[in-house]
This record gives sequence, C-alpha cells and structure tokens, in this order.
Amino acid sequence: MAIEVKDINKSFKTNKKSLDVLKDINLNIETGKFVCLLGPSGCGKTTLLRLIAGLDSPTSGEIIADGEIVKKPSGDRAVIFQQYSLFPWLTVLDNVMFGLNLNNKSKEENLKSAETYLERVGLIEFRDAYPHELSGGMKQRVAIIRSLLNHAPILLMDEPFSALDMQNRHKLQEQLIGVWKRFENTIVFVTHDVDEAVYLADDIVIMDKDPGRIKEIFHVDLERPRKRDSIEFLEIQDRVVSKLDEWG
Amino acid sequence: MIFKSDNVYKNKFTPVILPIVIIIIWYIITSVLHLVTPYTLPSPVDVCLSAWDIILSGELLRDSTDTLFKVFAGMAIASVVAIPLGILLGAYKILEDICTFVISILRPIPPVAWIPFSILWFGIGTVPAVFIIFMGCVFPILIYTIDGVKRTDKVLIESARTLGADDTTVLTKVILPSAVPYILSGLKVGVGIALMCTISAEMIGSSSGLGYMILTATNLFDTGTTVVGMLTIGIIGLVLDYIFGKLQSYVFW
Repeated sequence: MAIEVKDINKSFKTNKKSLDVLKDINLNIETGKFVCLLGPSGCGKTTLLRLIAGLDSPTSGEIIADGEIVKKPSGDRAVIFQQYSLFPWLTVLDNVMFGLNLNNKSKEENLKSAETYLERVGLIEFRDAYPHELSGGMKQRVAIIRSLLNHAPILLMDEPFSALDMQNRHKLQEQLIGVWKRFENTIVFVTHDVDEAVYLADDIVIMDKDPGRIKEIFHVDLERPRKRDSIEFLEIQDRVVSKLDEWG
Repeated sequence: MIFKSDNVYKNKFTPVILPIVIIIIWYIITSVLHLVTPYTLPSPVDVCLSAWDIILSGELLRDSTDTLFKVFAGMAIASVVAIPLGILLGAYKILEDICTFVISILRPIPPVAWIPFSILWFGIGTVPAVFIIFMGCVFPILIYTIDGVKRTDKVLIESARTLGADDTTVLTKVILPSAVPYILSGLKVGVGIALMCTISAEMIGSSSGLGYMILTATNLFDTGTTVVGMLTIGIIGLVLDYIFGKLQSYVFW
C-alpha cells in the first residue's frame, strides 16, 4: 500500500502562541518500501508518523493511503509505539490475538496462526505469560507480531527499539528485516539513530527542526543483509551524519 | 520496622496478643473489680452468654443475613448504576461536564440524611434501607470508576484503534479492564460505607437486621446482646475487607 503525504502542515497552539511542528511536508512512499524518518528530537518525525496513522489530524494538507484520505486510525496501518503497548491484563497469546479476534474468522484459525507466529520468533513458551513477566525486547517482539498477525499492510514504527540494549536492538532489527521481506509490508520507521536508519532503510527521510521539515531524501543503495563494519556502510553513515549536521 | 528491610520477624500470633489483653482488662474491670454496672458495660461472660443465646435461637444468623442481604442488594444496584455511568462519564468529557454539578452537590450529603425521604417514599422495612445503602455507595463507586477510566494508558487505546478496534470495542476491551482495579477500590470503599449505612438505616426505619437487634436489645437493657451485635458488624466488615483484598490481588495491572 502506497502512502502519499501532500502539503502537510501541523501546528500546535500553546498559550496564544502557535508552534509549527511540521511545515510543507510532501512525501511519497511506494508500496513495499522501508522508509526511515531520521532527525533530531523536535523535528516532528513522530508527529508525521501519527498523522499517517490517523491518530492526529493535520492543520492543513492531506495524507492518502491506498487511495483513500486518512481520517482516523485503521487496522490497515498498525502502529508500534516506543512505549510498551501490550495489554497488561492479557497473556501473550491473547495480546497477539487482540486484532484477530475483531475480525470474523474462526477462533481456531486465529489461534493456529497466532501460535505459528509465536513459534517463529521463539516466544511460544511464553504464550501464557503476562507482559510484566517479559523483558523489553520480548514485549516489542510481541507487539510487532500482534500487528503482523493483523495483516496490516503498513507498519508505522515509532522508535520501537530505543529502550533496548545494543545486542537486543541489533537482533530485533535483523528480525524486522526478515519479517518485512517475507510479508512485503510498507514500513515507516521513526528513529534518531543514524546507524539504525542506514541498517534498515531503503530511503532515509532526513528531517530538521524549527519548523519541522524534510531536508533531504537519501537513498541507501546497499545489499541486504547489510554489514555494519563494511566500508560502504560506514561511508553512507558518514554522509548521512554530515547531511544531518548541515545548516538547513 | 518500616525503616529496615532486613530483620523481618515472623510470628503468626502477634495480631492476637492485643485482643487477648483487652479482654483480660475488660474482664477484670467488670467481673473481678465490679467497677461498672452490667448495663453500663457488660462483662465478657455476659457477652458470651448472650451470644450463645442468640446463636441457638437463630436470631443472630437471621439478623446477620438480613443485614448482609441489604448490603449486597444496595451495593448491586449501586454498581449497576455507577459502573456503566462512570465509564461513560470518564470516557466522554461532555457527559462529565453535564453531570458534574449534580454529582458534586449530592455527594457530600450524608446517606443517613436521606432517611426521612426513604421512609416517606418506601415506608418501613428492607426497601428504604437498600435505598440508603445505594445512596451511600453509589458515589464512591462512580468516582473511582471515572478516575480509573481517565487513567487508562493512552498508548493502549491508540494501539487498539490501530488494530482496528471501534469505539465500543475500545470501551469494553481496553478501558473497562484497565479501570477494573480502580472499580474494585471503589467497591471496597463502598462496602464499608454500605455497612455503616445499613446499621443506621435499621436503627431508624426498619424492623429487622443487626442495627434493629442492637437498638431493641439496648432498650431492654440487654447490653450483652448489644455488644454481640456490634462485634458481629465488625467481623462482617473484616471478612468483606479480606475478600476484596483477595479480589484486588487478582487484578495485578
């Protein structure tokens, strides 16, 4: 599913003052692409993601997903949040089946696909555990599975791995690429970590702040799986960093 | 000591020491030294005898179940009204704004102040008592439910929406379970108030129950039975508190 962002402006009003969070954003994301929104804090990357999700509305402009104007959240655009977002009163299995149980398929069918997915990411033995019994990395994996099971063609991810330690972060990034290749989702991934963006993205949307805007769209032309210690990887990383640091 | 985490002592009998000491002092004052007349303060022996009498006659059981029935009936009606209302008021700001004045004015009125009207409207018996209990515990349950709904983690609501949930699903599958611990706290506060209301109501507009038993026994200078009635109320409160404490440990989130 393609996403079209057209002339988006977003401002918040605070004590009589109006603050431009996003200014004149135009962006086309093709179906099946992995796009990272990269920028310093305050550049509006999370706001842009929330607008695409339909969780907030733009001050002006419109966002079109799969030919339709985004007006409210939908199961087609799953969001994986930075904060852990599992339902604490449900077990892992019931959590991943939350979206599935909203459709009209049979219970057994849902249960079967949920178990298959949990099996695949090595969480099957935690199916009856509650979220507070899981580590941070496990919680985010469960959240990702919950969205995948729902067959959301678009995954919107808001710094989902930022609270994890480096090993776990790298592992989940690798798994995410695996998932994306298998299911061919369109992914929009917000991050402030250059390494993460270069490792994951087809295209990096470099943003800047005051007001939040797109500075440049950087295409990452590297074979996958990408090697962090390869010269090409480090070169691209360097170029992205210098773009970020340039005075807009 | 609260200040030290180690040095935890373990003795199951610590809680019963003080009650035993109190009973001994009570016994000495009333039965050994005869410092007070029996109708001013009955001795523990008198209390035990009265207890024995009304247990055998079935009076204690009858009045206790009568009181408990009123407590649960009042609580049940209050819950049926307050929990759904609280969820709506917590979820929709406009509804809360509409109701806020009425709630803020009705809430501070002590439930027993409704006794005159309850008698005028419902006469004497079980119904007016249930009404008083309802008035007493509907507000704590309502306020706690509203609070619980408002404290629902925004991320959970947004997650549910992006998983395709509509308003009704969000209310029933996210907001309600998230508010359950708060609702339980409201019920726990409510049940204490309900017990107090029942006794007051039974003392004025009723012809059965523990409150009625206490009042009639006192009028007959049967103060032993009065004390038995009081202790029974205390024990019922203790048991209800324990049950709600247990229920609360099941809702760990």
